[in-house]
Amino acid sequence: MLVLSRQRDESIIINDNVVVTIVDIRGDKVRLGIEAPQEIPVHRREVYEAIQRENLEALRLGPKDTETLRQQSKEQPKDR
Amino acid sequence: MLSRMMRIDTIHFGCVDVRQQDVFHFPLGMPGLEHCRRWVLLTPPDEPAVSWLQCVDRPEIALAVVEPRRYLPDYRVRMYRRELARLELRSPGEARVLVTVNRTQGGLTLNLKAPLVINRKRRIGRQVISNGDMAVQYPLEGTVPKARRKIA
Repeated sequence: MLVLSRQRDESIIINDNVVVTIVDIRGDKVRLGIEAPQEIPVHRREVYEAIQRENLEALRLGPKDTETLRQQSKEQPKDR
Repeated sequence: MLSRMMRIDTIHFGCVDVRQQDVFHFPLGMPGLEHCRRWVLLTPPDEPAVSWLQCVDRPEIALAVVEPRRYLPDYRVRMYRRELARLELRSPGEARVLVTVNRTQGGLTLNLKAPLVINRKRRIGRQVISNGDMAVQYPLEGTVPKARRKIA
């Protein structure tokens, strides 16, 4: 891994189109500003990984598992 | 009008004929499914509450999806504007929001954190990672009675 030291308000540039700026440093928390073209997705890593896991897990679901949903939606009109 | 049909293999419904114009394009795929770009939405007539987003190119890949507002009428998606890039939305009305369904030990859950936003006109979709404290596995069981109370 490339490791660079930066101070507040300093930046790094990745490729020629992604700029990461240190916006604020408070204790063990760093705030980053990211400027990147809109087509490049930017996410907090742990959130992205949680969504990845969730999608892969959700693939195991089959029509049998969703039968309860069918029952629920059938019951709903009765309540109207 | 004649529309071009294509036959695709699906994991839950065998061989299915779909119209080419019904294919949704996800330019980025989805997290974990980055190579799955072309999808179709299959809704079994006997189970209209649940649709299956089937990958056109990988028969073994399909996700159960529902309209979140059917269960959570107040559900709102908050996201950075850049998350909507490439969806080519001209008005909010062009967007359709769906969420994936999963099963945990406690029962069925909805991924409210990362809804699928689809431009229904242009048929472009994206899984958006929303802002704020939304659950990736929101337990569904507790929500239905709440929705019923509102209807009643």
